[in-house]
Amino acid sequence: MMIIKRLATIAAALMLGAGVAACNPDSLTRQNTDPNNPTDAPPGPVFTNAVRMAVNRWLGSGYSMNQTSFVTQQLAQTTYPTVDSYVDLQAASTSGTFDGAYSGELSNLEKVIEKGETLERPSIYGPAQVMQAWVYAYVTDTYGDVPYSEALQADKPDGAVTPSYDAQKDIYAGLLQSLGNAATDMAGASGASEGLGSADVIYGGNLQKWQRFANSLRARLALRLVNVDPATANAELAAAFAGPGGVFESNADNAILVWPGDGVYDNPWTNANKGRDDRRMSRTLMNVLINSNDPRTGVYAQPVEDSTVYPNGYGGMPNGLLQDSSSKWFSLASRPGLAFYPGVTSYGTFGTSAGLSTPSYVMTYAEVMFIKAEAAQRGLGGLSPADAEANYKAAITASLEQWGITDAATINAFLARPEIAYKGGTDGLKQIAVQKWVALFTDGGQAWAEWRRTCQPSTLVPGPAAIVNYIPRRFFYSTREASVNADNMQAAIARQGPDNFGTRVYWDSNPDAAPTCTPAP
Amino acid sequence: MNTSQTRSLGPLARLALAVACTLLALPALALAQQGATISGRVTSEAGEALANASVFLQGTSIGTLTDAEGRYAFNVSPQNVTGGPATLTARRIGFRQASAEIQLVAGNISQDFTLESMPTQLQAVVTTALGITKEKSQLGSAQQQLSTEELNTTRSQSFVDQLQGKVSGLTITGSGTAGGSSKIVLRGSNSINGNNTPLFVVDGFPVANDNRGSTPDGGSLSNLGVDAGSTISDINPDDIETISVLKGPNAAALYGSRAANGAIIITTKHGRSGQVRTQLNTSYTWERPSIFIDWQNLYGQGSAGNFRYVDGKGGGINDNYDQSYGPRLDGRLIDQFTGPQQPWVAHPDNVDSFFDTGHTFSTTVAVSGGTENANARLSLGNTNISGVIPANSFHNITGSLGGELKLGSRISTTASLQYARNRAKNRPGMGYNTGILEQFLWFGRQVDMDALRNQFYDEDGNLFNWNHNFHNNPFWLQYENPQRDNRERVITSASGTYKVNDWLNATLRAGLDSYNWRFERMFAKGNLAFTNANYAGAFTFLNQYNSENNIDFLLNATRSLTDRLSVDGLFGATRRYSEYRTDQTYTAGISVPGIYNVSNAAISPTLSNYYSQRQTNSVYGSLAFTWDGWWTVEGTARNDWSSTLPRRNNSYFYPSVNTSIVLTEAIPSLASNVLSYLKLRAAYAQVGNDASPYQLASTYNGESNKFGSLPLYAVSTNIANFNLKPELTNSFEVGAEASFFDDRISLDASYYDKSTRNQIINLVVSSTGGFLTKSLNAGEITNHGFEALVTLVPLRTGDLEWTTSFNFARNRSEVVSLAPGLNTVVLASQRSATVEAHVGEPYGALYGRTYKRDATTGELLLSNGLPQQGPTALLGNINPDWTGGWNNTIKYRQFSLGFLVDIRQGGETFSNTNMMCEQSGACANTLLGREVDWNNPGIVGKGIDEATGQPNEKNVTSEQWFQAKWLINEAYTYDLSYVKLRELRVGYNVPTSFVNRLSASAANVSLVARNLWTHKNIPNIDPEFAYSSGNAQGFEYMPIPQNRSIGLNVQITP
Repeated sequence: MMIIKRLATIAAALMLGAGVAACNPDSLTRQNTDPNNPTDAPPGPVFTNAVRMAVNRWLGSGYSMNQTSFVTQQLAQTTYPTVDSYVDLQAASTSGTFDGAYSGELSNLEKVIEKGETLERPSIYGPAQVMQAWVYAYVTDTYGDVPYSEALQADKPDGAVTPSYDAQKDIYAGLLQSLGNAATDMAGASGASEGLGSADVIYGGNLQKWQRFANSLRARLALRLVNVDPATANAELAAAFAGPGGVFESNADNAILVWPGDGVYDNPWTNANKGRDDRRMSRTLMNVLINSNDPRTGVYAQPVEDSTVYPNGYGGMPNGLLQDSSSKWFSLASRPGLAFYPGVTSYGTFGTSAGLSTPSYVMTYAEVMFIKAEAAQRGLGGLSPADAEANYKAAITASLEQWGITDAATINAFLARPEIAYKGGTDGLKQIAVQKWVALFTDGGQAWAEWRRTCQPSTLVPGPAAIVNYIPRRFFYSTREASVNADNMQAAIARQGPDNFGTRVYWDSNPDAAPTCTPAP
Repeated sequence: MNTSQTRSLGPLARLALAVACTLLALPALALAQQGATISGRVTSEAGEALANASVFLQGTSIGTLTDAEGRYAFNVSPQNVTGGPATLTARRIGFRQASAEIQLVAGNISQDFTLESMPTQLQAVVTTALGITKEKSQLGSAQQQLSTEELNTTRSQSFVDQLQGKVSGLTITGSGTAGGSSKIVLRGSNSINGNNTPLFVVDGFPVANDNRGSTPDGGSLSNLGVDAGSTISDINPDDIETISVLKGPNAAALYGSRAANGAIIITTKHGRSGQVRTQLNTSYTWERPSIFIDWQNLYGQGSAGNFRYVDGKGGGINDNYDQSYGPRLDGRLIDQFTGPQQPWVAHPDNVDSFFDTGHTFSTTVAVSGGTENANARLSLGNTNISGVIPANSFHNITGSLGGELKLGSRISTTASLQYARNRAKNRPGMGYNTGILEQFLWFGRQVDMDALRNQFYDEDGNLFNWNHNFHNNPFWLQYENPQRDNRERVITSASGTYKVNDWLNATLRAGLDSYNWRFERMFAKGNLAFTNANYAGAFTFLNQYNSENNIDFLLNATRSLTDRLSVDGLFGATRRYSEYRTDQTYTAGISVPGIYNVSNAAISPTLSNYYSQRQTNSVYGSLAFTWDGWWTVEGTARNDWSSTLPRRNNSYFYPSVNTSIVLTEAIPSLASNVLSYLKLRAAYAQVGNDASPYQLASTYNGESNKFGSLPLYAVSTNIANFNLKPELTNSFEVGAEASFFDDRISLDASYYDKSTRNQIINLVVSSTGGFLTKSLNAGEITNHGFEALVTLVPLRTGDLEWTTSFNFARNRSEVVSLAPGLNTVVLASQRSATVEAHVGEPYGALYGRTYKRDATTGELLLSNGLPQQGPTALLGNINPDWTGGWNNTIKYRQFSLGFLVDIRQGGETFSNTNMMCEQSGACANTLLGREVDWNNPGIVGKGIDEATGQPNEKNVTSEQWFQAKWLINEAYTYDLSYVKLRELRVGYNVPTSFVNRLSASAANVSLVARNLWTHKNIPNIDPEFAYSSGNAQGFEYMPIPQNRSIGLNVQITP
């Protein structure tokens, strides 16, 4: 009996012990505090990371150098021609860009904006709003109608887990307004002490430059609407040029990201070409460069390996070939980018590591001057055709200088060439469009968008192996959306048109209005 | 709704447990009287002690059950001591009842019994949950047990692979690499994103079975890209006495969460009283891959029939290409990587000769012995494998020491220590981007393998290879890019049992399982996949520490309440605590070649640390009543408190009930010469499951690499959920066990139906909300199935006996629901094909792009003579329709022959290997269209020309055809059925007279073989492959085939 009692005591004690553990779950719950990751982080490191992600995506090896630069025929493929024939531009290949943008830089920039707004510091939320608009524009330009007004709120108690798709018209209106507000709010705010400081890897906390970037980006978006809504384009261009802080005034204002080049964070083009030797310059771009004896030829491209083939050593390959006919171009077309391989002398050497820190151009003064040139030629934004030529020349000069061609004689000789000398009128608009397209090299997304808007250069045609007989005008929506946000995606498709390469996005929906599109494609 | 149910049941169950304990204690009050004491021992004919035999005075309810040593003792109160004759009866399931006449007088009466067995596999003592041994006849749920002999028929690198084909409902997929992993699923997959492998338990304690495989096509420094094995293979198969497979959650209800997928209970060998015994098991086997690809040997490297090598990077003609659509191998002279103007000839054996003959040498020596009060066993094992992949080796040492010590008559203690050390070298990369075999799909069929084997560098010190654009020399990869890993593991436990009285034991025990794993992978300068081209090499180092400790307190009661009614009761409490830590360092660039150390890093290394801990506290109990040895009703209850769930949801209760009835005992007239035994059983169980650590709060994730000098943080892409609830699996099963014709035929069959609800999943959500996944409870998966094991003795005449058994299992799963508005979760994706948990489909539905077809005729629509990609459609399911095994043993005098045939019927895969080797022109069926010359006669595809609407007449080259076809997943979806001759053993038992001189009971010399023969439907690859060790299955990427092994085995049995 003693034993029974003792045992009963033990059992009771044990149950009590278990009971205590159960009734005092604090000790258990405390064990579940994550020791690895914090539940909050300061805005600076989140901003830096978001900018890095954004630039790496939109100017990097996925979207820019493996997709849009082929679509807009600045690059071509010798080894994997399925990219060039648009097979690898279908939903499975481009979904990552769509999903990565929202869950990556857009979501993180949203957090920075929230933190900045809580602190009531435009010096924090202003730059984040500008970067977010920069990203959103690529997203909507690529896909058309996308989630915007309900997006990026899924972690809030009432936030949409399946955001609806906004019409591109409304997204553009939202972005233009957001940029205007950002420029206004940043006026007079202190960037150095209360802002992002060195975490701002673009301007180091210089809010005046952020204002100029906001206004310049506003001008880019405004001009894109010119074929469908010239009134808004006109008003927004004027507002952008006159916005607080103005637009870019020189290459010193360029929004650039300088890569550390440490082997971990490298210029994405340099990094991608270092490991793979399958990209060649497109004949479409090379012909424009070579025909005008463009001084940037030797910066954008490397001499062809077999130097006897072309008179000046450079040449491009056709886009969209079948594999059994693309391979020979391996040694018959220029490799891209001496700009990315300083010091390269011969094939097989990928240059010195200095190329790893080649900057990525987020937005340039050259582009702003091309925008002004076109606005002037068309009498928009308070400018008049008389201003067009000066702006055009300034734009080309800025681009040459940006790419390292600073010799005045070389620049002047180029500007004096018959292909380059400004012709005015519709021909002038075509010159502006082509030279802008050339200047946007490495920014495949913008070069593609400008081609869609202006039809220039007019030499773009699909290759013989292309799976559609036209140049894609948008990409497919994400396969993930088709499975988890299908209703909203289908509503967008019903409004915008079929989910394929051929459907035109809102600003591309009135090609007849573009004077440079004659005859209309 | 579920939560409230769980909450309300909790206290009720605790009350029930308390009542049960009290009830158990009550009958003790009736003991402790004076009178006669009857005692003795019950043994079998073979002299083995029989536990749980019932001994009682005929015509009364006075009696008891025997203990583990077969001893019994009970008192007869004075008023019942008649002084006259009485009949004492002993009975036990599986044995004929025996009676003895005694004189019932005051004082001590001694009576032993020897029971004659009625042997059947259905009637034996088996191990069940918590290591408790029970009569199989009293089990209410499905269980299958294997002895050491059945397990170790042949030799394989992990004992888990030895279970293949032997246990119905258990699917095992081994690995072809030395020390590789084994994928295990029991009765189908329950969980969408969670763990679907059963729990392993060694001598009562759960042990880790972490898979160290990683994503097979991962070409990154942070992803290991090799299969580094399953940690359960640390257990030496020669130390295993029995393996008991508890198939459903029913049987495993008492193990809690982790046994929701069933449990595999391992009992190790122990010492016995008596003389010192020696055990030896040694074997030597030779291995070769069992399946090779059917290559073409008419055309070499190149494209459009052209090739000339200059630099292997594109400087020649198509010499950057890694496909075999080049010139015909007709002996013409062409510049090749081996030199200018070399004969252009086939090397038909070039891939096959890449593989070495593997060797496995394995030995275990054990000694055991003991006295009445103490025993011990010490074993040492050593396995050396040199793999079929060059330079790949695996070395494993195990040591095991276990002992038991009795302190007086009431206290017994046990302790055990198992140590294992694994060392692997040069595990090959798996899959596409980094796989060692990948380049043989993208290959020049003319490549001379010996040239690559003999030379890694040219005269100038540059890498020597057939191609420098995509590939490294495979031998150079294996020999000059060293990989090594080392795991040291200790599993230790100690227990003390206090025998409170005849029927009640109290046990306190503790167990610790911990291992350290160090992984090092080094990449030489020029490694295309990993080394930054500007630097001298790269490396990845990984350290992992894993530990789990369990402390259990158990009260175990077994007693007869009357002579016919006995009760088994258990009450237990467990604290489980586990820790996991991992530290990783990697860099893509080092400064000085050959020094793989962070101090030599030229690119700032990326560092990562992760630590997690979790704890579960549990109380549980079971109560089983057995009537007359043939009817058992058992109930179990368990409550867990988990650290990983939110405080308000962290307590969860789950019960189970089961019953079994031996009809041939209940109704003796039922038993006849035809039907000798019939048992029916039924069980219902619920098992709860918690979450992984740290799922409840959203976090920001930092980067160890600074951007210049700037820190980086990003918000997690998962939306955490602070309202998570436990997952719940409900399971029901019924079964029958029967034997016929004096046990010449026996049958063990089960039907089960289970469903898992409230699954904790990181649901894929629209990225446009800003996040990729959201943690929530959602979804239901059901599995139902049928399993059977039939054993026959078709021949038993004189010296000849043939035993054959067939096991069969089919499982049908269905994804009943996911989250609201969601109809699919993608488990894995490859080349437009996906494997999904899709509502209304079985788990593992395979979707992909079809051929574009004419809607009315169903004929292919061709464009420019080429097939086109059609819409995405369901292509199949990755799970088999059924699996089976046919096992045979034929004995004649000293000789024995055993073989096991393993069968898988059905299931589909999207085969990357077949797709790639057609795209590259490497395999034999790509000769279609180039029988005469590279583009002659060409291929005129059967189908309709989309442009004209007329039958296609356009002739395309073989290269164009196959490079258009590769986009169509449907074209490369294959049936995975196979029949394999899994095991073969021809043995000779050394005559007893000779064996006795060795101080052993038996000695056996055998020829053993595995995977001798395979019948399959899928071309070119072994249908048995695991895409990864996780839930992402159904794709393959040039898997390393299972090995065919042949060898010799010598066993000396103590």
